[in-house]
Amino acid sequence: MQANKRDPNMSEQIEQALERKYDAGFYSEIESDTFESGLDESIIRRISAMKNEPEWMLEWRLKAYHAWLEMEEPDWAHVEYPKIDFQAISYYSAPKSMEDKPKSLDEVDPELLRTYEKLGIPLHEQEMLAGVAVDAVFDSVSVVTTFRSKLEEAGVIFCPISEAIQKYPDLVKKYIGSVVPRTDNYFSALNCAVFTDGSFVYIPKGTRCPMELSTYFRINEMNTGQFERTLIIADEGSHVSYLEGCTAPQRDENQLHAAVVELVAMDDATIKYSTVQNWYPGDENGKGGIYNFVTKRGIAHTNAKISWTQVETGSAVTWKYPSCILKGDNSVGEFYSVALTRGRQQADTGTKMIHMGKNTRSTIISKGISAGKSNNAYRGLVQMGPRADGARNFTECDSLLIGDKCGAHTFPYIESRNPSAIVEHEATTSKVSDEQLFLCRQRGLDTEKAVSMIVNGFCKEVFKELPMEFAVEAGKLLEISLEGSVG
Amino acid sequence: MSQWLDQVIGGAQFDDYLAPVRQQALTQLKADGWPARRNESWRFTPLTSVEKREAKTTTQADVLPVPAIDNLNAIDLVFVDGVLITQVNTLDVPKGMTITSLKHDDKATQQAISSIYGQIKPTRHMFGLVNDALCEHGIFISVDENTKIDTPVRIVNMATQNVDAHTRVVVKVAKGASATVIEQGVGDVDSLTTAFAEYDIADDAHLEHYRFAMFTAAAKQLGGSHFKLHNRSTLNSTMVGYGSELSRLDVDIHHAGEFADAKMNAIYLLAEGELFDLHSTIEHAMPNGTTEENARGIVGDKSRAVFNGRIHIHRDAQKTLAELNNRNLLLSRRGVINTKPELEIYADDVKCAHGATVAEIDEEALYYLLTRGVPRSKALVMLNFGFIQELVNDVPNSAIREWLQPLLSKRFSQMEVK
Amino acid sequence: MLSIKNLHASVEEKNIIKGLNLDVKPGEVHAIMGPNGAGKSTLGYVLSGRDGYEVSEGDVTLNGKDLLDLDVEERAREGLFLAFQYPVEIPGVSNMEFMKESVNAMREQRGEEALSAAEFLKKAKEACKQVQLPLDFLKRGVNEGFSGGEKKRNEIMQMILLEPSLCILDESDSGLDVDALQVVANGVNSQRDGKRSFIVVTHYQRLLDYIKPDFVHILADGKIVKSGDASLAHEVEKEGYAFLGKAYEEAEA
Repeated sequence: MQANKRDPNMSEQIEQALERKYDAGFYSEIESDTFESGLDESIIRRISAMKNEPEWMLEWRLKAYHAWLEMEEPDWAHVEYPKIDFQAISYYSAPKSMEDKPKSLDEVDPELLRTYEKLGIPLHEQEMLAGVAVDAVFDSVSVVTTFRSKLEEAGVIFCPISEAIQKYPDLVKKYIGSVVPRTDNYFSALNCAVFTDGSFVYIPKGTRCPMELSTYFRINEMNTGQFERTLIIADEGSHVSYLEGCTAPQRDENQLHAAVVELVAMDDATIKYSTVQNWYPGDENGKGGIYNFVTKRGIAHTNAKISWTQVETGSAVTWKYPSCILKGDNSVGEFYSVALTRGRQQADTGTKMIHMGKNTRSTIISKGISAGKSNNAYRGLVQMGPRADGARNFTECDSLLIGDKCGAHTFPYIESRNPSAIVEHEATTSKVSDEQLFLCRQRGLDTEKAVSMIVNGFCKEVFKELPMEFAVEAGKLLEISLEGSVG
Repeated sequence: MSQWLDQVIGGAQFDDYLAPVRQQALTQLKADGWPARRNESWRFTPLTSVEKREAKTTTQADVLPVPAIDNLNAIDLVFVDGVLITQVNTLDVPKGMTITSLKHDDKATQQAISSIYGQIKPTRHMFGLVNDALCEHGIFISVDENTKIDTPVRIVNMATQNVDAHTRVVVKVAKGASATVIEQGVGDVDSLTTAFAEYDIADDAHLEHYRFAMFTAAAKQLGGSHFKLHNRSTLNSTMVGYGSELSRLDVDIHHAGEFADAKMNAIYLLAEGELFDLHSTIEHAMPNGTTEENARGIVGDKSRAVFNGRIHIHRDAQKTLAELNNRNLLLSRRGVINTKPELEIYADDVKCAHGATVAEIDEEALYYLLTRGVPRSKALVMLNFGFIQELVNDVPNSAIREWLQPLLSKRFSQMEVK
Repeated sequence: MLSIKNLHASVEEKNIIKGLNLDVKPGEVHAIMGPNGAGKSTLGYVLSGRDGYEVSEGDVTLNGKDLLDLDVEERAREGLFLAFQYPVEIPGVSNMEFMKESVNAMREQRGEEALSAAEFLKKAKEACKQVQLPLDFLKRGVNEGFSGGEKKRNEIMQMILLEPSLCILDESDSGLDVDALQVVANGVNSQRDGKRSFIVVTHYQRLLDYIKPDFVHILADGKIVKSGDASLAHEVEKEGYAFLGKAYEEAEA
């Protein structure tokens, strides 16, 4: 056929260039307490008891559980996966060594520390990147949170959410479920019922958080799900930048990750939330990998700003729409995303920008790269409410296809109810052209380097939004992704 | 379930040569049932006004004069309340063209009709299935190979009473032939019209197509125009939609051959509490096709515009060029615009883009108008009607262009600006 | 008529106009010349009230009214007309429809009745004739597909129709051949009635052979650095902007 003029070797070379080893795929030999698989009320009571939770928290969980039982698993996303057996999952797993709650880093199981070191996240403060405080969540529990005393000096609370429920019940009670209601969707309801740990952040009025906050999620045990919950409250006029990373061992079975993240940006506050998601994506035939069903949402009050940046390279299936409710006048929402899918990965990701206040602004930049036999979809909603006078949105969705066996899709929903609101949406699709490759190679670059360069250029707009410490990691991640089969 | 659909399914009986297709449609209707509230296809367009409606058709219709389009000189075919009132066999039809009723005893003609009827229109359109099953009155138009027909054929659906009307148009443009077909609908009474048309455009053939969906007030229309493009064929389609209590148009353009070229412009101007919903789907199944779609609308008062434009590039459709652009202007705080341009792409060597805007203003042009003292609100209207005007200027037929021009600006001037 | 006192203005936080003073009396023609980047076009945008052009200091009055308080269209209705160097194309909006709105907005401001379609058409035809634009240009989209010269003539045609009290011509000569220049200049000159004032912004002296200025000002680095009569323009033509100092000579080179 005339259409397929491309040198077939070229396509193959590009695809080879995209093959990669999953560096984080190791398993740590750590003795764990793991619940038997299955889900019922008693499991939820046990989780709550393990965490020594107050009665109101247990009740809250049970309400969510009963609502979840009545709900149906959503099927509108452009993804296909076998039905999840929620009874085959274990809902709690924690390293045995964590039973006595180590008081300091010295008491933490060295094998755990080695795990994080291997992932490039040293937890000894002196070895860490200065300026980044880390909460390390291993399966269902938080292992350690670094730099806490330094943060406390500034009045910043950064601790596992299980601890916050004990220590700051009023804050948690007030805000948990306030942005993502208990029955918001199937997976968030499940999370409400069974969440085990996650991070809690509170930035007091007028405070600029002195360092980057970061949570690193690791799934280690087999057949466990991870259901973490993050709640970030930035009080009036405060500022915080938060980073999130995640990996999991390489396994043939699929594992479920259903997290909920809630952000509250009070008047004049700014929250910047960045994610580098590198869950195990499964092998090239689609065996194994994480099902990543995540609900992330922030509410921005007057003059507040919420900025989501995500680099999504992992997971077998991704279902994720970090969103902003722009409630206050002049509030700002941003979404910058790079999603790279290879092999048989499927991603359906995007954002929702709900403009409620006057002069609210939102920007959406989404870059999807599909290779192999993967499918990569952007799904978004921009909604201009009747009171959103002068509101504006700009959306740009670009897809890059590598090879002719993958798919790139764009499903933007736009709704406007305000005559003075302006919405602009653009989407394009392109490929790594033979001409571009030829030029790079003629200048002495090999195919791998050339593809990597072109893809990086394609993603530049998003990478520049990442905090510096993370930009390096994200760049490396993509480079590894595109580096070729040499391990 | 819906009373209306129950009556439709219950009352259907057929024994003509189209019975197999009709039966199939009925079976699917039964299986699918009435769409659930969150059904993606009807997400923003409630069907409540049909749901509890009484399903009834008529065989009695008055012969009425059709709305004139000056200087058009078309062959007019008229349905009133679903009844074909034109004496088709008395028409003066150009050489190389055949126009007949779907009720036809000639086996060859029946075969030609059967090869298109229900075959080009995708089966996902519920009201299309209803039309498949219930359509009594329809027209078959066929243009012979390498015949260029200059005289436009105009099909008018007029709704005058509180009944359901199901009409059908089947068009075959043979190899190297060309034709112009206009579908027009008018009426403002509490009626329901399902008017579906299927076009088979053979290799190297050309179709100039118009659809004027101008039902208003309580007249409900649920129709579609569906095109199958073969090798090197071309389509130039212009649609104009007014809104009514319920107005839904489905357009499918299927590139079934290589190097086919489709151009589609759509305009919608909505006033009062009207609703207009345009769903277009472009299927590029073969390589080297091109599509350019422009949909532009203005939404006034309490009206609602729904636009869903999908471009689907199949695995084999390399070297496709497809572009879709949707621009909207919302004039009122009580109006709503829902737009969703979709891309679904499975081939890498393609150029596809879509864009959608609501109330996007060309700041430089606005500034220019303001420096000349034009009031801001007027300037916005002028600029935005300007982009409608661009599509009117694009209309290939000059008589239609001159007819549309004042018609649309009149409607536009009636749309309240707040 | 127009009084500019100590005007400071910036674009994207960059100061462009830095303390400009200018007085224009009824019927006067002022030419503003200056090297590239002196702020000549900016002045027109600032006076017309374009978004993004921020005035940080100074006063501007037109016919006694504080201009800086007004929106773009209000300034226009106060009689300020800006002829653009690069007029924008507006497809779909016809020249005729545009000018009719515009003329009637001006008339409403003056408390006059709106023109009937026939009356307007008559005036528009005359204006077209005066700048030698074919009549079908009225039907075409605003500046759509016009050549450079046609756009400039269209600007002057609008000026004739709108009867402003102050006209700012921004490089109306650029890109025109001698014949076209003559047409534009004739159009302008026909509007000189002893009451209407003009600010002619130009890089070259050439235009001033056709539109005789009463005053010539040299604008450099956001200020008027030298003023004189028509002879100053000839001086500049001969000597260039050398007197401004070395930096400008290089900028010109």
